[in-house]
Amino acid sequence: MAKPRGANLRDSKRPPVSRFPGPDGDAPVPSLPSPDPDDPMSYSYTTDLAAIRAVVHRYAVQAGLTESRAIDLTLAVSEVAANTIKHAKSPGSLKIWYDAKEIVCQIRDEGVITDPMAGRREPSLDAQGGHGLWIVNQVCDQVEMQSDENGTTIRLHMNLPRRGAGQ
Amino acid sequence: MWYNKCVDLLTVSVTARESAGEPYTLVEIAGEADVTNTDELRRLLDEEVSQQPRTLIIDLSGLRFMDSSALHALLRVNRALDRQGGVLALVSPQPAVAKILRLTTADRLIPVFGSVAEAAAG
Repeated sequence: MAKPRGANLRDSKRPPVSRFPGPDGDAPVPSLPSPDPDDPMSYSYTTDLAAIRAVVHRYAVQAGLTESRAIDLTLAVSEVAANTIKHAKSPGSLKIWYDAKEIVCQIRDEGVITDPMAGRREPSLDAQGGHGLWIVNQVCDQVEMQSDENGTTIRLHMNLPRRGAGQ
Repeated sequence: MWYNKCVDLLTVSVTARESAGEPYTLVEIAGEADVTNTDELRRLLDEEVSQQPRTLIIDLSGLRFMDSSALHALLRVNRALDRQGGVLALVSPQPAVAKILRLTTADRLIPVFGSVAEAAAG
């Protein structure tokens, strides 16, 4: 994977990333807002990625995403969780919640991402890694990432089709 | 069938080998391929590449999911075959697998066919 959390980066002296991409660009923000809603579904994972994918896909369809977009979200969560397995030394946690407008998957682990452009550049096909976070940024409607010495939180947002829109 | 190796959710089967007189080497990958079984996938594919097939066909029709780690394993096979004058072809990816091939433009680098017969015909 793209060095997002490679040991060399982890050991570097550069400051950790705090980023909140939005219409105004990549202005850093101090912290993510606390997860919404009432009782998000929560899971802890170590290496059981297939189980995580099954859960995400189920909720994505239940929330109203089309099959194709449910596959996108499943892929994105799997890539982020794969980073946990590769680079964090502890289990990760996944929370899922949705409302009428969007479904959000929040993945948190104790790894640290120090590259503020992680996942923003298209990697070469000859590269040994680096596609994971790039794919995440391609398929999700919004990606929020915050990383400091305590760990990394990544929030993946997918807009839901408007109900009654002939979807 | 030469062998049928199962690692967790991933099954890799070699059903034809050029070295045994077949016109191509055919590997079937089924289940879910991700970072948790990429090492084994890479090792099994390397074994086939080391026998220097001219045409290596990977049938993906039974593969429900592939992440970027598994994709890198396929790209590595493609590079190795290219260096030794062979060709890699992929067959029948399911939607989730087709998606990652398309997103990364790997499907422009590695030819993708609808059937083994088409892949064999080139």
